[in-house]
Amino acid sequence: MSTLLNSRRFRNVAIQAGFVVIILVVVVSAVIIGRQNLQAQGATSGFAFLHRATGFELGFSLIETGPFDSFGRFLLAGLLNTIFLGMIGIVLANVVGLTVAVLRTANNGALNAIGTMYIETFRNIPMILQALFWYALLTSLPAPKQAYHLLDLAFFSSRGLYLPGLNVTGAAAAIFFLLLAAGVVASVCFSISRRFKSMPNVRRSRIRWTVLAAGVLLGIVALAYGRVPDTPVLSIPELRGLNIRDGVRIPPELASLAIAMAVYGGAFIAEVIRAGFISVGKGQVEAAHALGLAPWHVFSRVRLPLAIRAVLPTLINQYVWLFKATTLGIAVGFADFFAVVSVSISQAGQTLELIGILMLGFLVMNNIIAFVLNRVNKAIALKGTQLRV
Amino acid sequence: MTISATAASIRNARPRGSLGNRLRKRYFSTPVNTSISVVGLAIMAWVIWTAFEWAVLNAVWRSPDGTSQVCRGIDGACWAVINVRWRLILFGLFPFEEQWRSTIACIVIVVVAILSCVPVFWKPVRLAGLWVAGFALFYSFISGGIFDMPYVGPSEWGGLTLTVFFYAAGVLIGMPLAICLALMRRSELPVIAVTTGLFIDVVRSLPLVTILFTAALVLPFVLPSFLIGDKIWRVIIGFALFFAVYQAEIIRSGIQSLPKGQEEAAKALGLSYWQRTTRIILPQAFRRALPPTINQFVITFKETALIVIIGFFDVLASGKAAFGSGEWSFAWVEVYCFVAMIYFVFVFSLSRYGVYLEHRLRVGKL
Amino acid sequence: MTDVAVSISHMNKYYGGFHALKDVNLEVEKGERIVVCGPSGSGKSTLIRCINRLEEHQEGSINVLGTELNDDVANIDIIRREVGMVFQHFNLFPHLTVLENCTLAPMLARKISQADAEKSAMMFLERVRIPEQAEKFPGELSGGQQQRVAIARALCMKPEILLFDEPTSALDPEMISEVLDVMVGLASDGMTMICVTHEMGFARQVADRVIFMDHGEIVEEAAPGQFFEAPKNERTKEFLRQILSH
Repeated sequence: MSTLLNSRRFRNVAIQAGFVVIILVVVVSAVIIGRQNLQAQGATSGFAFLHRATGFELGFSLIETGPFDSFGRFLLAGLLNTIFLGMIGIVLANVVGLTVAVLRTANNGALNAIGTMYIETFRNIPMILQALFWYALLTSLPAPKQAYHLLDLAFFSSRGLYLPGLNVTGAAAAIFFLLLAAGVVASVCFSISRRFKSMPNVRRSRIRWTVLAAGVLLGIVALAYGRVPDTPVLSIPELRGLNIRDGVRIPPELASLAIAMAVYGGAFIAEVIRAGFISVGKGQVEAAHALGLAPWHVFSRVRLPLAIRAVLPTLINQYVWLFKATTLGIAVGFADFFAVVSVSISQAGQTLELIGILMLGFLVMNNIIAFVLNRVNKAIALKGTQLRV
Repeated sequence: MTISATAASIRNARPRGSLGNRLRKRYFSTPVNTSISVVGLAIMAWVIWTAFEWAVLNAVWRSPDGTSQVCRGIDGACWAVINVRWRLILFGLFPFEEQWRSTIACIVIVVVAILSCVPVFWKPVRLAGLWVAGFALFYSFISGGIFDMPYVGPSEWGGLTLTVFFYAAGVLIGMPLAICLALMRRSELPVIAVTTGLFIDVVRSLPLVTILFTAALVLPFVLPSFLIGDKIWRVIIGFALFFAVYQAEIIRSGIQSLPKGQEEAAKALGLSYWQRTTRIILPQAFRRALPPTINQFVITFKETALIVIIGFFDVLASGKAAFGSGEWSFAWVEVYCFVAMIYFVFVFSLSRYGVYLEHRLRVGKL
Repeated sequence: MTDVAVSISHMNKYYGGFHALKDVNLEVEKGERIVVCGPSGSGKSTLIRCINRLEEHQEGSINVLGTELNDDVANIDIIRREVGMVFQHFNLFPHLTVLENCTLAPMLARKISQADAEKSAMMFLERVRIPEQAEKFPGELSGGQQQRVAIARALCMKPEILLFDEPTSALDPEMISEVLDVMVGLASDGMTMICVTHEMGFARQVADRVIFMDHGEIVEEAAPGQFFEAPKNERTKEFLRQILSH
């Protein structure tokens, strides 16, 4: 008996079996108790509620939603809103981050100081506080009648920002942006993929531009198809009575979150990129200068590509994290995925199912982001061991 | 050794010479550089001056009659709102007469946190003793029910004390949990390693808000009634779990960065698994993982602000309440700035401490 | 109880599909000094790492000091306490002082009091001739000093057998002799030693037997005189030619 207990194989099997049993007990008892509680409330479990009408409305939606639409459609709208906000936020955060990183690493004391001031201020304040601040700021802008405006084309009011746009349906606009993004991504993938490296340069660049142009053209076709009939092509915002009509309205909920993501996320991304710039060997920069490259080319062809390669894995984590930050929508009343789920829980009561959908949604989205970017990382990674000086 | 070498080369890369020389090189080396410097400094001066003018020169500091009358038509900040509402912001809904208890409780936690930053206390036993004593003291003050102090339930806790408590409790529960998860993920037993890995990856790809939300609303559904407890504890455990999965990955990468020989040497000396882990592996892994750990502590402090979403009255929520009622509703900028200041002080000092630790680590004093 | 220290019979080890050790048979008596040599990848390190279960063998048997090395956890503990090991890269614990490195295992695994552990640690540090470094951290010592500390650390467990895994090959040339001197001293005190090393001078001077391994097999096994002067196997001759050619 004692030899059995001392046997490593037996111990390993026993420990793992015990581990599995404990997990099973926890899960099964949770399921049983959940069942009982649901029955006590007289609620039916299952996903039938997805087809029921919601009875509430969303403040912002890329697809049309109304009180008579189903929970399923609302959840889809919330998901699209999250993706939309996430894309805007991440792109803006990158712009801010790169700018501040350049300021921080510039060979000029004043620029360094500005960058440092920016980072130390915005990185040390919680993002939710910043989002609430921007939201309060945007909603305390003057009413539409007294709105600030730029040449009567763009209006900044407490109801939101009004910009000139096209008279197309939201879905068409979304498809346009998707096709545009697909074109850009495809052409970038084409140029970095090793498989086409052997092609002659002229042909490669021709194919690259064709791919890009195809994306743009298809997008324009989508726009034309989604045109709202009997309206002018351009939609210019215009003050009529007490409100502003036409144009594209960016609601303060969306804008405040996008700004917060850009400002707060930008501060973090700036630090990551700065670390990348620092990691670029001095020798490489000196070699580039010695070859007579112009400062801009030293930056765009040597420092930036090397820096991005060095920090892309860290950046991927930042993007995933920033994407999760879209859940702050609920704090300012933006109808992101989480907000829609939480309102649906209070309306439909299907807590477990809805939380399941919520978690599954984020699991899938975040893993897609990580998967795609990790592929990119692998494609552009420097091959072989690097001598660091 | 490599780190210190890099640090030295960075130091050497800085332009040498007198202050004047250095200034010239950093600001005025070429005409372009000079003009950038001038514009940059001008912008900075303008920003700082405008902020100073608003926040200090034109500000109204107190309200004699306790109303917002004094702030009508001024150009500067109306700090009077803080003067009138500071107790609401710092203590939330805590009973007015008992707020001294909340103050002491908050100070206890902060002092314990500062003490645990002092290397003298860096022994597992001492740290544990310090925190157990600190929490006992904190709990008896804030909860009361002893020594003539009336009982105050968790639903009335609020303000800065709640934020600090949430943070300390979350990290304190999360840290041992993180160590367990990291060790389990590195286990030689495939079932445990794979299950733990899957669990960590799933929790990591969920937003914190959804986990807090689940802890607050979903857990009561699936827990037996004797385990449900108060909402605050469920949410703290959710918070701790979220901290733990990130910290577990940090610890794991610290362990993985150790040379394999360390574990082998310990084995060859006849040390058992627990002896190897507690005496050889973890102490070294923690040193190696120190910079990202401090970073995680800083991020976690800012994330406590998210509990406002599930209805806790932390310093951010009580700040919102301070200008929420009609009279002071114009003073949101001041209140947000005040709350931001509070966060800033905590977060900034934490990250400075992290820089100091990294420096010590680099010169080999750890 | 015989005076056999290590007895290995028909032992096989596989890494996945790779056959790392092929039907190894080896008998080491107490007090015997064995030198194992062979080209890199020949399995000599793997062989001695099997003796204290840093590697697991799949077939055959290993018996150390009368204890069978098998799946029994208690046996592994016993054997590891009685078998010391010195590594190529020293593997000192960098967060502990030299003295703490030496006292940790006796206190934890042998339950010796701190005072006794420190007393015997100082004794062994004197024996490897660096008692004055006791309070320093490993990172502050030279490679040769670190390896001598590593030997002292192994000795502090008062092992019956010492395994050496290429103890000098990570050292600068001028530091090799200070480590070899300590090893020669140990040998003359009658310690049972199994050394993987390329130091042929050391092998000639102290070894009772030299074992040559290639491709996971023991190819030749002989007393040093015969081994160096009249090797039987072609592969041994080839190896000696390469290693002694300069």
